[in-house]
Amino acid sequence: MLTKDLLRYRIQKGKIFPQFVDPTDSKLLAIADQLISVFEESQDKPRATILEASKHVIDTTSGQLIIKRGFEKLLLDRTEFDTAPNEELIAFRHKLFTETSRMLSQERFQDYADYQQKVSQIVGNEGVLEGNGLGDKLYADLPNCQPVLSFRRISAEHLLHRYNTAQVQGLLLHCNTLTLVLTESMTAELRQLFKYLRFNQLLSTIRKEKTTNEDLFHITVDGPLNLFYKTKRYGMNLANFFVAILHQPKWELTAEIQFRNKQSCRLILDDSCGIKPISQQFLAYIPEDIHLFQEMLRNKTDTWQIHPGSQFLPLPGDFYCFPDYQLIHSSGVKIAIELFHPWHQGHLLARLNTLAEHTDTPLILGVSKELEKQQIIADALSESDYFSQFGFTFRDVPTMNSLLPILNSLVDTSEGKLTTCAS
Amino acid sequence: MAPLKLNFDKGTLILQNVPDVLQLQLPDIQWDERTLTFRAPAYRYRSIVSQLRANNIPYEDTARQFTVKTFTNQKHVSPYPYQSEAIDAWHANGQRGVVSLPTGAGKTFIAVLLIAETQRPTLVHVPTIDLMHQWYEVLKEHFGQEVGLYGGGQHELCDLTVTTYQSAVMHAPHYGNRFGFAIFDECHHLPGEQYQYGAISSIAPFRLGLTATPERVDGKESRLYALVGECCYEAKVQELSGKTLSPYRVVTIAVDMKDTERVQYETARKTYLDFLKRERINMGTSSGWKTFLWKSSQSEAGRTAFKAYLTQKQLSFASTTKQEWVWKLIQRHSGDRIIIFTQDNDTAYQIGTRFFLPVLTHQTKLKERNAFLNGFRDGTYSILVTSKVLNEGIDVPEANVAIIVSGSGSVREHVQRLGRILRKREGKQAVLYELISKQTSEHYVNKRRRQHHAYQTKS
Repeated sequence: MLTKDLLRYRIQKGKIFPQFVDPTDSKLLAIADQLISVFEESQDKPRATILEASKHVIDTTSGQLIIKRGFEKLLLDRTEFDTAPNEELIAFRHKLFTETSRMLSQERFQDYADYQQKVSQIVGNEGVLEGNGLGDKLYADLPNCQPVLSFRRISAEHLLHRYNTAQVQGLLLHCNTLTLVLTESMTAELRQLFKYLRFNQLLSTIRKEKTTNEDLFHITVDGPLNLFYKTKRYGMNLANFFVAILHQPKWELTAEIQFRNKQSCRLILDDSCGIKPISQQFLAYIPEDIHLFQEMLRNKTDTWQIHPGSQFLPLPGDFYCFPDYQLIHSSGVKIAIELFHPWHQGHLLARLNTLAEHTDTPLILGVSKELEKQQIIADALSESDYFSQFGFTFRDVPTMNSLLPILNSLVDTSEGKLTTCAS
Repeated sequence: MAPLKLNFDKGTLILQNVPDVLQLQLPDIQWDERTLTFRAPAYRYRSIVSQLRANNIPYEDTARQFTVKTFTNQKHVSPYPYQSEAIDAWHANGQRGVVSLPTGAGKTFIAVLLIAETQRPTLVHVPTIDLMHQWYEVLKEHFGQEVGLYGGGQHELCDLTVTTYQSAVMHAPHYGNRFGFAIFDECHHLPGEQYQYGAISSIAPFRLGLTATPERVDGKESRLYALVGECCYEAKVQELSGKTLSPYRVVTIAVDMKDTERVQYETARKTYLDFLKRERINMGTSSGWKTFLWKSSQSEAGRTAFKAYLTQKQLSFASTTKQEWVWKLIQRHSGDRIIIFTQDNDTAYQIGTRFFLPVLTHQTKLKERNAFLNGFRDGTYSILVTSKVLNEGIDVPEANVAIIVSGSGSVREHVQRLGRILRKREGKQAVLYELISKQTSEHYVNKRRRQHHAYQTKS
């Protein structure tokens, strides 16, 4: 990501406008290419050498310094340096400093040159390092001397898109709440988005708005403490979350940005900003847990099929959730499953509250046994009529033994009434 | 009606079955539409529970994940009278509050005694990795039991655990309900924009802040008092000097630059000041530095001005004459235990390589930094060069001489550096040297700094 001094933005009438680069700008692409070459050829070279070479590119090419330094920072983020301690040098230092401490405490010197000469003699006798140039070698394991282990390659065009992404992420670090408007059109991307959301420990409220053409979902994203403080505590989580937003086909983002001791301003951005996500999105990829689930299901029954969750599910009280899986019975009955892992305590309590006294919602709740160990969760589950009917617990992954009875009871009781459960 | 339930969730409290009558009374509780529950910041735990008890309202508390523990102090050392007074004041203040004592006055010992008295799992917050390890040793020595470390790559929670403020911000949402006693060392850091969330996300009812200087330039000490409790005890350095602290003197040495360096300095300073003038940048304002950084990146003249800024700064921080003075002082104090402080790492390593001395900065790897500190304590190394990492808290009773080659100019920093040599030992006379470049901005900064009471010694 980019540090604040590398961000380019303009503030006008309470709105903040990130200053993106044109990803097709040939001059910038050429500079990006030159900088990338420096890093691609950096294997085993010390950090100072890389920085010197990139500084040369920065100093000798035209264009805004702040942009070029931004490119350099993003390339450095993709570079891994060898930070392991140099044990040989550490041992040498210990030996040398023990001796110099003794000398400085016990001996007298005519002047500094006399001291320097005596130290050089000792070092020369030790034969570990040459006396000459000792000063240069004494701390030769500082970060500037660390060699490059690896560099994650990137194309010039991707670097420019990464730069634009980082401009937004840099602003979101100073943000407390983010509102997203999405259409429901692309379900695989949405599933990914909600995985990101939960992974980043963020909370959300989802509201639906019907327009003449399509359904829009307003998703407000923030953290637990945002209820009390306008905190930027979750800025990093929101900045990471932005990458998932870029994968959505149609989106609009509004965020309140506030730099320290400054008035807040509003960032409004949508999919027309032209930033391409550079992270890979394996939309056709079926996660391992689904494969496992499918296999277990096949072994037990051929009347149910499992699919990754793909649609918002309306809940009582104008709320929505995005389930993990959807199961389809041969009769056409569809049932959704939402899983709650140890870190989803708040989400589970919310869900139980929402579903209390609403047994017609076609949603099965799977709760991790680890989460159930918490007294408040154990109590909430035992007190929930909904969970006693439509819930189960699991250790690592849900098992068919616990799930099938619930599924079958739903089909038995529904007699085909639940055909539109999650649609 | 089902009893009120109290639970901990990611640094907050979730309250269920809250009677209508209490919804407006309980401090800081709010309805959370995202989870359809009432919620409160975790640090409100004590006041919420107190109110429930006061109103005889039954409640189920699953938030609190700690119980009373036995911590036995195995070292029988009697506290000084002022330490006993501080402990009494903390109890009288409702077992929370800030104790302000000069460095070397035994703040850690007060904390140890209070851990033994409160008998609750305790989390100690510190600003640096070095302090984290120092507390670890102290707690282990006093209580002879396992001590956890959380920060700097370590992730072990025990009933006595030491963490850095930075780690606490990240992890308190997960473990903030496991400790009943929270100690904040060098607690003037706590009101920082992010650091405060470590304290906010913890339910610990007992809280102790320790510092030599609770006041902050931004006035945010009020936030500290809100999260930890009011300042309940304070003693100043002069009150303890010569009694429980070593007597000390401060010697300011004004050094001339060499002629060539003076010319370089004046030229660079003029280039820098001319740019400020031309661009109408007022460095006296809060946004001055940012504006300078921004404008200097926009043009060739700006880049030249920025380089000039660095040159004049570097020359005033580490002129040849200053290095000559360092050599003189090292010779003068042959046999003493000396800490050399600089403003930046470059100068520290410059001195370290010139005089072949151990340099301790944030770049020093953990194993070697421990070796340097232990070597300095046991006398293997008589001199340690450092930039800022030893400013705070590190306990080196043997150190009796500090040489400040360069500094930030803040009073707090100088008082802290002075504190490093004040820990009392029999017959010890501490001396702090400040090397100030004549006719530079350093000279005026020093003049302002000397108005602090720590400089008003009799000696």
